[in-house]
Amino acid sequence: MSENKILFNTGSLDGLSEEIGKLTNNDESRLKLTPDNADSGLAKLVLTLVELIRKLVEKQAMRRVDGGSLTDEEIERLGETLMKLELKMEELKKHFNLTDRDLNINLGPLGDLM
Amino acid sequence: MEKMIYALLSVKKESDRLDSMLIGMQGISGANLYSLPVDEITAVVSDTTRAGLITDSTNAITFAGVIEALSQEFTLLPMRFGSLMESTGAILKMLERNYPDVQQNLQQVEDMLEFGLKVFCDSEKLRADLMEKSEIGTKTTVLSTPEVKNSVYRDWVNKKLKEHRLEELLLTHVDSVVAAITEHLSRMNAVCKFKKMLTETTIIDALFLLKKDMKTELMQAVGNLQKQYPGLNFVMTGPWPPYNFVEITIK
Repeated sequence: MSENKILFNTGSLDGLSEEIGKLTNNDESRLKLTPDNADSGLAKLVLTLVELIRKLVEKQAMRRVDGGSLTDEEIERLGETLMKLELKMEELKKHFNLTDRDLNINLGPLGDLM
Repeated sequence: MEKMIYALLSVKKESDRLDSMLIGMQGISGANLYSLPVDEITAVVSDTTRAGLITDSTNAITFAGVIEALSQEFTLLPMRFGSLMESTGAILKMLERNYPDVQQNLQQVEDMLEFGLKVFCDSEKLRADLMEKSEIGTKTTVLSTPEVKNSVYRDWVNKKLKEHRLEELLLTHVDSVVAAITEHLSRMNAVCKFKKMLTETTIIDALFLLKKDMKTELMQAVGNLQKQYPGLNFVMTGPWPPYNFVEITIK
């Protein structure tokens, strides 16, 4: 490039480089399906979708709790269900040796999935 | 041999100036650049082979460098890296088919440049600050009847509700920063695009298209925004060719 393209930055260049790296380096969250890892690759893909849906459900539930439209009993039942779902998800992640970062697919310019 | 297309330019009556500029420039793999005009629109191309085109940083930088140099002299629509066509005839036909759309896009970006603005934060500090300023830390979360108040499920819901309220607060804060940016740019007639919450630390990724002579004013506006939000880090880049403001589907 013909000139310095950073016109304004009050932070350090190292810090900026690190942040840009987070936006562009999505190696960890990339789905790498090969004949040798078809099982674990598929598990990662499926668990990513399950986790996304679980988080959406949880978010919607919290909106309803916050809105005050649920009875104490309903909140209790909701808490039990969602907590059990979260624990089950933790078990599955452990079983397939996956972390939260593995399931948070980086969608490039769109950012992280979750 | 295939042709690599770098950009589509609005040359009007300056084709001689373009041709003399291209004489001193080189494209990917040191190939010569030349122009293929159809009326007022010109494609800048070089000869290449599909098999010989390697997608690496050297070639990507060379490609962007050609577009960058041309954008300083002419209004252009940058092409995507790897835009290949099989012959001169195919490119000319493509230009004829898409002439009205290309012309319209060129008019929209005439004398305009693109600037990028990213806003970063220290995620933990920002959350702690927002928490402190709000009532989340102290506010009663959900009502409990005496018989269920010690329930583990109720505690779990309370914890999640606190997190949910903090996320909502964070989004509201980001929206207020976006509104402040928009307000600062409103007098510059800038075309703006915003993406929010890309990662935990990149809370805003904005793109602006504005007149070439607005650069100093934009830098001043970003400086003011930085003063307004000292806890955030505003990073502005540019000027860039209008990579993100061309909306055309080549037929």
